[in-house]
Amino acid sequence: MEGKNDNFSGGRKYTNGEITVFWKPGACVHASYCYRELIEVFDPGRRPWVDMSGSTTERIIEVVNMCPTEALSWKWNDEEKNKNISFDQTNHIVFRRPELLESKETDEGVKPISVKVMPDGPIVIKGDFTFSFDGTTKNVKEGILSICRCRASDHMPFCDGVHRKIGYEDK
Amino acid sequence: MKGMETDNGKDKNPVIEIVEGGPINIKGRIVFKDLKRDITTDLDEVSLCLCGRSKNMPFCDDSHLSHFESIE
Repeated sequence: MEGKNDNFSGGRKYTNGEITVFWKPGACVHASYCYRELIEVFDPGRRPWVDMSGSTTERIIEVVNMCPTEALSWKWNDEEKNKNISFDQTNHIVFRRPELLESKETDEGVKPISVKVMPDGPIVIKGDFTFSFDGTTKNVKEGILSICRCRASDHMPFCDGVHRKIGYEDK
Repeated sequence: MKGMETDNGKDKNPVIEIVEGGPINIKGRIVFKDLKRDITTDLDEVSLCLCGRSKNMPFCDDSHLSHFESIE
């Protein structure tokens, strides 16, 4: 059994769509700024302990920047915005974990896939990819997957259009 | 400081995996769009909720783990 896929090099990452916060447990010295400042997001007693919906992007950045080690670091998901980071953004990965930036750049040769979350509908994925579910793995070229989110499809895990009929709303 | 980088997705196609009772995990170069919330972003990894319990839609927040039985 593989571990969860949000593991990376013994750490985890969390996103709210705008920024990604990286968590590197081995680096934590328990200075406890994160949960004293923002328990809504960083709650060590909760699983998962980081809830990105608990505050605004600005406030999360502010508190991550207080972490005295590289245990918490962050980046913008829009790579353009990561190019000019000022020095007061102390825990941006450019300063704390530059290895995370480099590993991004080595991906240049591979074609990206498109992942679209449709409004109150399925997840539609297009491109070349390897797909596994229910114990089978397939390599797909120029494929399209439409994955059910309403959980009412007769062809799980694929969408069969029934989300419209049942009035599915994702929130 | 070499040695800890993961090779995931470097020379490989993106990998998509559906976890039974859990999310869909996607690793690789991803152009991500959420049309309802007007999010467009490049990601190298994303985990999207399929169980309906996430409080951070459309992303997985591990809420599926709070129930032990899998979702039919």
